[in-house]
Amino acid sequence: MAGQQPPSEPRKDDAPPPPDSGSGYVAISYLIGGMVVWGGIGWLVDRWLGTNGIAMGIGAVVGGAAGVYLIARRLGA
Amino acid sequence: MVTGQTIVLAADVPFPPSVEDFYLPSIAPWGGHDVWFTKITLLVWLSVAALIIFFLVSYRKPKLVPDKKQWLAESIYGFVRNNIAIEMIGKEGVRFAPYLASLFCFIFVTNLWGIIPFAQISPNSHIAFPAIFAVISWVLFIYVGFKKHGIGYLKVALVPPAPWFILPILVPIEFFSNFIVRPFSLAVRLFANMFAGHMLLLVFTLGGFAMINANGLLAPVSILSWLMTIALTFLDFAIIALQAYVFTVLTASYIQGSLAEGH
Repeated sequence: MAGQQPPSEPRKDDAPPPPDSGSGYVAISYLIGGMVVWGGIGWLVDRWLGTNGIAMGIGAVVGGAAGVYLIARRLGA
Repeated sequence: MVTGQTIVLAADVPFPPSVEDFYLPSIAPWGGHDVWFTKITLLVWLSVAALIIFFLVSYRKPKLVPDKKQWLAESIYGFVRNNIAIEMIGKEGVRFAPYLASLFCFIFVTNLWGIIPFAQISPNSHIAFPAIFAVISWVLFIYVGFKKHGIGYLKVALVPPAPWFILPILVPIEFFSNFIVRPFSLAVRLFANMFAGHMLLLVFTLGGFAMINANGLLAPVSILSWLMTIALTFLDFAIIALQAYVFTVLTASYIQGSLAEGH
């Protein structure tokens, strides 16, 4: 079949490099991932030291900030 | 007479619907009720058979000027190849077009059972099926990454461009979002949409019966509820197509991430 007819539309093989699609999901997963990962580690520290959620709070804030930083580095200009 | 029968039949309609409604009884003509062959099994087999037969038949004698079937098959494959694989991944995407097209078609057909009369439940409303699709895509993009970069793939995937002293904070987040959230969100997104679609249709259908049972004066509301069921079926069709597309596009996007050069 190949080569018997010219393709009816451009094959688009030579299209410019793809735009970074799906970046919305990436941003959300970094933001939530940051808070969950470091909040979770903070929670473990809380259990270990017997503190009442202080480490978890710090972890969630640090993780959220790191998530924002990651979004800026990976998706920003 | 007909209405009376409906009401008698509806007298034991369970309302509200529950998760139990997704665990259908065995329909095996042989054996008892604990045989694994349920409506879900049947629908999956039918989907596989329908897809294989459709593509085989429409490509049996490919013609220069395609007939309707061949045109449809070529359009579906061409759509996935050009608008998903090449659009997202670039030139190299052609290699992945067969996988992406199979994924798209299979998810679309299994989703479609959710609104086909008499079937009206999608196999994807059981998380086992979306989970397997997600695992296949997950293994694929990790494999592609290691094949392209060797062990350096770990650096591409885990180490963002950042000063060294922040990396200890960032690398766990990258690991979590790239290797754990991705397959999980792929599976849950598809599963939850199909589950919710089926649940909505159940609520409005059974709710109509529940109201007309409670009080005959509520009959107009019941009819409204059943009309809503029809409207929601059309909404469900949009969601079915969209979710098949989203799953395929995200898989392509993950493959593209694995193929990308280091930052």
